[in-house]
Amino acid sequence: MKLLRLSLRSLRREWHLPELRTLGASLVLAVVALGVVATLSTRMERGVLASAAELIGGDLGISSPQALPAEYTSQAARQGLRTSRSASFPSVAFTHGQSQLLDVLATDNAYPLRGTLELDDGREGSVIGHGPAPGTAYLDHRALVALGIRLGDTVQLGGRDLRITAELVRQPDGGELVAMAPRALMNVADAEQAGLLGTGSRARHRLLAAGEPAAVQAWRDWLQAQALPQGAELITPEQTQERMRSAFDRASAFLRLTALLSALLAGVAIALAAQRYARRKTNEVALLRALGTPRRQVLGLLVGTLTLLAVPAVLVGGAVALGLAQLTWHVASQLFATVPTDLPLGPAIAAAAMGLAVLAGFTLPPLARLAEVPPVAVFRESATRRVRRFDALYLVPALVALLLIWSQSGSARLAGVLAVSLLGVAVVAGLLSALLLWTARRVAPGAHPALRLGLAALARRRGMSLVQATALSLGLVALLLLAIVAPALLEGWRRELPSDTPNWFVLNLQDDQRAGFEQALAGMGGQKLNMLPLAVGKLTAINGHPIDQLHFQEERAKDWSDRQLRLSWAGALPPSNQVIAGQWHGEHPAQAEVSIDTMWRDMFALKVGDVMSFNVGEGNIDARVGSIRQVDWTSFQVNFFLVFDPAHASTLPHTWIASFYLPRGHTQALAQLSRDYGNLSLIDVDAMLDRVREIVDQVSGAVRWVLGFSLLAGALVLAAALAASAQERRHEAALLRTLGARRSQLRAAAACEFALLGLVAGLTAAFGAAGTGLWLGHAIFHIEHFVPPLGALLLAALGAAAVVMLLGLAGTRKVSRTSPMRLLREG
Amino acid sequence: MSGKPSLSNGVLLDAADVSKSVQGPEGRLDILGGVSLQVREGESFAIVGASGSGKTTLLGLLAGLDVPSSGRIVLDGHPLHAMDEEARADLRRRLVGFVFQSFHLLPALTAEENVMLPLELEGRDDARSRAREALEAVELATRRRHYPAQLSGGEQQRVAIARAFVHRPRLLFADEPTGNLDQRTGHHISDLMFALNQDHRTTLVLVTHDPKLAARCARQVELDNGRVVTSARLAETLLETRA
Repeated sequence: MKLLRLSLRSLRREWHLPELRTLGASLVLAVVALGVVATLSTRMERGVLASAAELIGGDLGISSPQALPAEYTSQAARQGLRTSRSASFPSVAFTHGQSQLLDVLATDNAYPLRGTLELDDGREGSVIGHGPAPGTAYLDHRALVALGIRLGDTVQLGGRDLRITAELVRQPDGGELVAMAPRALMNVADAEQAGLLGTGSRARHRLLAAGEPAAVQAWRDWLQAQALPQGAELITPEQTQERMRSAFDRASAFLRLTALLSALLAGVAIALAAQRYARRKTNEVALLRALGTPRRQVLGLLVGTLTLLAVPAVLVGGAVALGLAQLTWHVASQLFATVPTDLPLGPAIAAAAMGLAVLAGFTLPPLARLAEVPPVAVFRESATRRVRRFDALYLVPALVALLLIWSQSGSARLAGVLAVSLLGVAVVAGLLSALLLWTARRVAPGAHPALRLGLAALARRRGMSLVQATALSLGLVALLLLAIVAPALLEGWRRELPSDTPNWFVLNLQDDQRAGFEQALAGMGGQKLNMLPLAVGKLTAINGHPIDQLHFQEERAKDWSDRQLRLSWAGALPPSNQVIAGQWHGEHPAQAEVSIDTMWRDMFALKVGDVMSFNVGEGNIDARVGSIRQVDWTSFQVNFFLVFDPAHASTLPHTWIASFYLPRGHTQALAQLSRDYGNLSLIDVDAMLDRVREIVDQVSGAVRWVLGFSLLAGALVLAAALAASAQERRHEAALLRTLGARRSQLRAAAACEFALLGLVAGLTAAFGAAGTGLWLGHAIFHIEHFVPPLGALLLAALGAAAVVMLLGLAGTRKVSRTSPMRLLREG
Repeated sequence: MSGKPSLSNGVLLDAADVSKSVQGPEGRLDILGGVSLQVREGESFAIVGASGSGKTTLLGLLAGLDVPSSGRIVLDGHPLHAMDEEARADLRRRLVGFVFQSFHLLPALTAEENVMLPLELEGRDDARSRAREALEAVELATRRRHYPAQLSGGEQQRVAIARAFVHRPRLLFADEPTGNLDQRTGHHISDLMFALNQDHRTTLVLVTHDPKLAARCARQVELDNGRVVTSARLAETLLETRA
């Protein structure tokens, strides 16, 4: 209690000290940066799932070629879940003598449980609706055009006349590449009565459920414990939208990177300020010790003062973080319209804890050393200095920084890249400044007077100069990464989705239709056609062990071993694929080979040389895992988890899948194409592309927000670094003025000193940021051909050197005006 | 050294009716009032008085570290009271040396580098060799690579004296130069200072409250409450002491 009172008094008296204010401000900034980003990331994570749920129309579903047992529905109801039953099938629609094969979805009125069904009922633009009432149907624009009918007309589906009450604009379609176009929505009761869902139909039945996450999980567990009907598979948000998921993963990696760098910047500022605070307190501590205060109490007082400073700072930081996260979320709310709006408090609390850890880690070494100041230091200042070749305490901030990187980066890889890069920058900056100081000693005597004084000043404060240059380099590298490299990476990402990214997928193309389709597409102006064979099969065994007898740690493994898999083959490695283990099989390997994606490697614990057995149609194929690929799922190219060699797989029953780019506004031509090739499924991914582009834009926006904090943190580092030597500088200036130094001499010397310091820091930071950016681009964000903008970085480095010089000069203005009388007054 | 001739009858420093006031929390505070004195070239001059009598303020004004509120101070023909800080700094660099009570050596510089400072400010190329000579003169040649923290108080003050004489100033200001030293060391330091003063024919203005040190000067003034109360020649002082 006494200690608390003493600490409070000490804080009140010392609050005016700039280093304490820097400590406080840095801490607030660190917590704000970490808190905003963590809150946004958590919400974004929820957003990903909610968004995927929107796309499948529910939180979880099951689809099966047979009607699903009623028990599934009643079990869901017992869990308190809402359910929707539907079935999809191809069916030919007739009207006025016209006919068109449609992809029909027969639903109940509850559809969709998640997401929105957008309709145009011909009155006032699009409206949000539910599944059609019995006796009615919704048709999409292409279906209406193909059949030559309008709203209010009647269409015959499965022998029943249905009135078209609305045009189908957009529906949650599961993002599954099985949808046939054009589309129609009818009531499931009508479909049943028309016998469209009976035995022998080609219908795929779906049961979707939505509700509380715990209830959904309970239903999921229950379903997984059941013996699912033949061919049935779960529809989960996690499995859908791989591309969207990758986009979100990248987005949160970006955000985490920026937050992390801001927090590290704040850490550097904290470390510098703590160092300075400790130096200022040395005499006071020596006096306290001389007056008989035990070391423990001295340390307690110091820790108490900082704690009293830290607690309000992290509270303010946490509150500001929540407020800003809420504001940012509000701005970006159109992205995830249906995400729960409650504000997650956990991330802000974690950020506050992290801020305290940063403060503790970065201030501990100077404070612990401070408590060691011997009482005799009141008589002899030199007694405060202890010569230590290696001070293990100074590993603490490095460890805290590593922990911070580890916990915030979300991936060991990102953590590694950042940790190694920053360490490299620190070492290079240290070495370069040591070299500068060494040169300074040698060059100074023959140099221009201003340069000589500047160099002498740098050399005089050897230790401080090293600390300043290293801190400035670290601060600048973080700033350059944020301000120049991150936007360049984002731009690289955006360039990966150029305006002519394939926006259509076509399924079900037969061998004999390929040439005609290609020609027809070229006639419409379609480009970038990429065609691959597609077979559908199931995984039956691994290394001869039947798959249903194997147990895997990953839950997903069971889902994937139950489902129908899409298989393909190719002689050449597809674009946006990279072999990371084994060798690509080529055209004619001696035995059947399959190349697997890393997700499969992880899911089934596979390695090169394992043998996988598949059942495809009537036949089986055993293939050796020849290579493991890293697939860029964001590329919007047709990609497969499993790719066989063509020599052994081309005889498997297959169709073709293709992607192509078709400029918007070709609805009529596509409807014709769809009529000419009735069996084709054409899938429009424009909406998905738009969404990913939207995500890139939103992330850019969010990164800009965080960048704001980082710039502040950077300014604090700069201020702290320059302030670190201000006191010495002032005393020195007073002495030099007394000895007759001109103000211009002091200014020129300071300009030289800071310009050199800025140049060392700026150049180290520019090359450090370029190297780190290159590494991040390739290893973390997988942006092909990413080249960091070296020109801009170098310019920024020179700019930074100039800013350091100007700020240094501005700080020195006061110093050079120090009255020489100060010395006489000091005695 | 100076471009201007000295004042008539060898007066190097002339202060006339100098006053200094500052604005304190309780209104205007008069630190010095109507002080007049003259210091001739080559002589030694002591300013004595109790603590708070205004000695240090007067020294600061005479050395051009500060300007008087009223009155005039002429140093080697230059009116300090009318010059700006830059011009005064220029004059100090050329004409003046300092020795302080707390030595004021830069802790990050070796003894030699500290002595080099005034020469570096002048931009001289022979700074190092002259600094070595100056350190030899104060018998510290062997400690030239030592940092202030590695030197005793007496040694630090000797370095400070070497620094004060190294650029051969015409006028040396010393503020309680033995104040932080024991009697024996203090004596040694003052011997050294007076010897160098003689060798270089430097004019010495000394602030002290030590009557023995003051007695070694040719003339002295005593300040009390910011005013000159006595001004005595050495001979008179000696007579008074004998009486």
